[in-house]
Amino acid sequence: MRAQFRNRIRLVLALIVLVALLIVIRLYFVQIVHGDDYSQKADRQFSSGGSGLFDRGAIYFTRKDGTLISAATLQTGFLLAINPQTLQDPEAAYSAIISAASSSLSMDHDAFIAVAAKKSQVYIEVAHHLSEPVGTALSALKILGVQVLRERWRYYPGDELASQSIGIVSYGSGDALAGRTGLEAKYEDTLSRSGNALYKNFFTELFSNVGNLLVSPKDAREGDVITTIEPEVQTRLENDLKKVNEKYSSKQSGGIIMDPSTGAIVAIASYPSYDSNVLQNVDPTRLGDPLVEQVHEFGSIMKPITMTSGLDSGVITPDTTYNDTGCITVDKKTICNWDKKPRGIIPMQQIIEQSLNVGASWIATQLGQEKFRDYFTKIFGQKTGIDLPSETGAMLGNLSKPQQVGYDNMAFGQGIAITPIQMIRALGTIANHGQMVQPHLVSAIRLNSGIERDLDWSQTTQVFSAAATRETTTMMDAVVDEKLENGTAKISTMSVAAKTGTAQLTDGHGGYYSDRYFHSFTGFFPSYNPKFIILLYTDDPKGVQYASETLDATFLDLVHFLIDYYNVPPDRGVATSTDSR
Amino acid sequence: MSNIHAHIPFSLTTICSGGIAVLVVTYIGLIAVVMSYAALTIEFSQSVKTDESVLATMEGQYLSTVASITSTNYAAAGYSLPVATIFVPTKSVTALR
Repeated sequence: MRAQFRNRIRLVLALIVLVALLIVIRLYFVQIVHGDDYSQKADRQFSSGGSGLFDRGAIYFTRKDGTLISAATLQTGFLLAINPQTLQDPEAAYSAIISAASSSLSMDHDAFIAVAAKKSQVYIEVAHHLSEPVGTALSALKILGVQVLRERWRYYPGDELASQSIGIVSYGSGDALAGRTGLEAKYEDTLSRSGNALYKNFFTELFSNVGNLLVSPKDAREGDVITTIEPEVQTRLENDLKKVNEKYSSKQSGGIIMDPSTGAIVAIASYPSYDSNVLQNVDPTRLGDPLVEQVHEFGSIMKPITMTSGLDSGVITPDTTYNDTGCITVDKKTICNWDKKPRGIIPMQQIIEQSLNVGASWIATQLGQEKFRDYFTKIFGQKTGIDLPSETGAMLGNLSKPQQVGYDNMAFGQGIAITPIQMIRALGTIANHGQMVQPHLVSAIRLNSGIERDLDWSQTTQVFSAAATRETTTMMDAVVDEKLENGTAKISTMSVAAKTGTAQLTDGHGGYYSDRYFHSFTGFFPSYNPKFIILLYTDDPKGVQYASETLDATFLDLVHFLIDYYNVPPDRGVATSTDSR
Repeated sequence: MSNIHAHIPFSLTTICSGGIAVLVVTYIGLIAVVMSYAALTIEFSQSVKTDESVLATMEGQYLSTVASITSTNYAAAGYSLPVATIFVPTKSVTALR
């Protein structure tokens, strides 16, 4: 009896072991032998899966209240592919597809038939970025030789918004999608996703990669990028630049709005730009960011730098006077004021207020070549280190030559070519009490683990004394209060420091055009504790000579917009009302 | 020794086999739990991706609305600028990083 019972127990155990073995064998085949097939099938059905689907971290704008808005994210949909070898009736298939997709799929009939005739191929993609309803409708057709596959792609909700700074993702020389320009390229390591498919081979992971199941090194690297760009300010800047460019038929216009105390860029744009979602017909030269890659001679907005250098070194004070003769000859070259008129004996204030080239040259002479070189090398001698790729350095050849005329020209912004980002950093030094900050677009990385890692941009360089920058600021203040639009631009409750610049364009043969200009405009407010610094430029505007004509309205529009939008408190006058524009 | 042996109803081999069988079944059960967990994870992850996609579309609508408001010429629409605006101090909402 006992022996019989034992035999039964053994039999039951043997059966259990047998069943277990069968299940294990089945799992082995499902997971390892046919793992890839099931993975792809899951992708197609979209009931699960994710293997092979494009994945990438997001880039965010930051609204003024801290809300994150996607600048670059992912869109999910379907692609349509055919197998010409199994597609029996291309005409009928085309009709069925067009009928099912209604008007949301534009596929050329002749192109479809031509592709279907390529019988030597087994897989040809004929349509991309199909929406969920269209993909579902096409799947339901179940046409032999027509595949509807799940697809994910890079999507930029703002279309053109900050496109040159955000950058693009595309195929390079290899077959991998990667960031090619802008932040997409600069933060490629953070944004790219390696082996992050949703489908995991359990056995493979368990036996060959058990460490990654517990602590993944990717989690310390991969994440989303949070920028300092404020979408509404960015929209305003782009809109204003477009208006200027179209009004004056300029070659290009650009602008940057930055917090001078931190270097955080609130808006950065140039026009013309491009729509990141539609790259088929984009001029490749527009893909880069001209604000960090192109150098310009900015003209008179350099004068505040020259003035502050002179004040900081002690060779001049605000009360110093000089005799302005209208034109001077240096190294057999003539330097003149914009109107060639002499002003007589005048104080330093007038050099900024009336934008006098002779006065700026006089300060350069007082500084001497060595001191002038020291200041300008400290400010422009190195790249800013902004977190954008392909940053260009300044062209400072005149600093290494003995001719004084080169220094005199640089004093008012000719004979020195720098990038817009270098220029706003230099001018930001005046706004930031002599401290030079590092301009940046990204404030933090949000890791996949959910931890937000702030980037450190706190390194600053003291270039000028706070006293020298304050004296220059007072001079720039007078430009808005007394000169701009004949004094009507003055805001009674907000001090605004500004300077215009008009530079002659180089003709490419060592000289300058007499009738083609580069206009620039800079300013910051509140003057003595600035929240924002603005730099604007327009290249080769037609039918207009001075920057005060082209960019003053744009500058003032941005100033008033920022005051309203950020609710910037008044810093002078009656503290209860502001002028309206 | 023989007395002890007499009190054990099954042989050592049987007990070991039984133990192995229980372990195997437990192992398979664990696999089933892990697979179910993986399936749910995949489903939820995909759900998140789909929701993100919907959100991206909404963000696109928001940004295009902002662009539309910014480019609106209110003067052309018959509105005029106020004579003066009053500054009302509020808690700053600036979140510059």
